[in-house]
Amino acid sequence: MAILEIRDVTSGYGEVQILWGTSLSMEEGRLTSLVGANGAGKTTLLRTVMGSIKPWQGSVWFNGQDISHLPTHAKAEMGVVLVPEGRQLFTDMSVEENLEMGASPKRARAHVARNLERVYEMFPRLKERRAQKSGTMSGGEQQMLAVARGIMAEPIVLMIDELSLGLAPVLVLDLFQSLKKLKDAGLTMMLVEQNVQMALAISDYGYVLAQGRVEIDGPSRELAENEHVRSAYLGH
Amino acid sequence: MDFLLTSILDGLLLGFVYGLAAMGLTLIWGVMNVINLSHGPIISLGMFGVYLLFSGLGINPYVALIFVAIFGLLLGIVIYFVAVNRVINAPHLSTLLATFSVAMIITGLGTAVFSASPRNVDYSLGSFTLGSATIPINRIVAAALSMLITAGLYIYLRRTRSGRYIRAVANNRNAAELMGVPSVRILALSFGIGTMLATVAGGLIATLFPFTILAGGTYELKSFVIGVLGGLGNPVGALLGGLILGVLEGIIPTFMPATWVPVIEFILFVLILMVRPQGLFGAKKS
Ligand SMILES: Nc1ncnc2c1ncn2[C@@H]1O[C@H](COP(=O)(O)OP(=O)(O)OP(=O)(O)O)[C@@H](O)[C@H]1O
Ligand SMILES: [Mg+2]
Repeated sequence: MAILEIRDVTSGYGEVQILWGTSLSMEEGRLTSLVGANGAGKTTLLRTVMGSIKPWQGSVWFNGQDISHLPTHAKAEMGVVLVPEGRQLFTDMSVEENLEMGASPKRARAHVARNLERVYEMFPRLKERRAQKSGTMSGGEQQMLAVARGIMAEPIVLMIDELSLGLAPVLVLDLFQSLKKLKDAGLTMMLVEQNVQMALAISDYGYVLAQGRVEIDGPSRELAENEHVRSAYLGH
Repeated sequence: MDFLLTSILDGLLLGFVYGLAAMGLTLIWGVMNVINLSHGPIISLGMFGVYLLFSGLGINPYVALIFVAIFGLLLGIVIYFVAVNRVINAPHLSTLLATFSVAMIITGLGTAVFSASPRNVDYSLGSFTLGSATIPINRIVAAALSMLITAGLYIYLRRTRSGRYIRAVANNRNAAELMGVPSVRILALSFGIGTMLATVAGGLIATLFPFTILAGGTYELKSFVIGVLGGLGNPVGALLGGLILGVLEGIIPTFMPATWVPVIEFILFVLILMVRPQGLFGAKKS
């Protein structure tokens, strides 16, 4: 069953249209990847899903409910959670306060202790730095914190924009392993990735976005074999 | 020498109240980057609130402060939704104009209802003598209450969920929304708390000096000076700034006419803006 569905969405900034009737659906318990060139509209699509920018046309459905016009915070409250591009940490707050902020939705509050333990296990570095101001951490550490904060929200659907950006390759592998565990525990996820090969390797289903439209979609294994995808995004 | 000591002590005590007033201004600036030009008239409303409850209903001025605080909080929330929310993302000029209109409305209505004649809250707790220095107890109480409220605000912002939300929205509103924080409500609450601090400061000033409906303007200007001294958006800085200003006001009249006080204050204001625009104690925003 599709837990999150985007139907023929158009949107953009001011007068500039970026999305031209994009449709995409995420199956429950699956890991979906969204790839595409710089400027294709991936971040814009996620912003439209969250309501940071409003869809001009089309609709967004969560669990069979039209959530197109709900405010952003209401979506997070329902379990639709985005780890945004550029991290967007609370830079004046400590690492642990950022994590507590992640657990703001009511549905997350009862599980703060368990989730805190879980993310500290995933990212021991964050535990070491729990009292540090998040803005003073290294880029990679901040990226870990952004992901950890998203997990603290007890998401039903977790969307991560540019997971691997700025992280060392070893760490990216670790992180992918951790995400797999979350997936096995039943979490539905969407990864937006520059690292197309890796994204297709771990996801179940993939979408390729080009100029605000879905260019190709299919099971990730098939996409990885696809001639066009190989030449345009995998470099062979 | 004793005379100087009394003046410094007097000014210091008053400084706490100034700091409290300024905190109302800097909290709003720190959270939403809005300069609240209705700050002064709201301080006046606090003065009149205590005055009316005391003179009209015989309520103890310090008890009246509780009602004034609640009124200030609600008033701020209303002002936020009526005047500020719709222009919150617009350039600064729009929010300046919006809060300026609120100032005009309050001052206009206030002058019509109360006229501009002076009032005072005739309630003295006597005075306290320390060596040769005599300090009115009203001042000591006002300073103590201001300190208490500052500490309360600090703890509220650090230790409570909604306090943490206020800091989060101040830091990154978009991220706060993504975490499930209803940021519009949090902004309204912050505006409410800012005006609450202003009305309470006004109420305390009313227990110290006579005032008119226009008197808040003076304290608004002081709040700006303090905001610049302490760094806008920094509550602890506001308190320190208030103390500095209070002490200056205590000392200056001992060697030059008291009418020079505002002149000195504004020279200070301009100097700091030129030399150290982030405030003497640094602000978190530039
Ligand atoms: N806030 C904004 N205002 C105006 N235009 C924007 C804004 N954000 C993005 N754009 C434009 O929208 C287009 C799509 O940008 P978007 O960030 O969605 O791309 P993306 O697929 O996420 O790219 P990347 O892989 O580089 O992150 C780009 O041309 C970009 O310049
Ligand atoms: Mg992007």
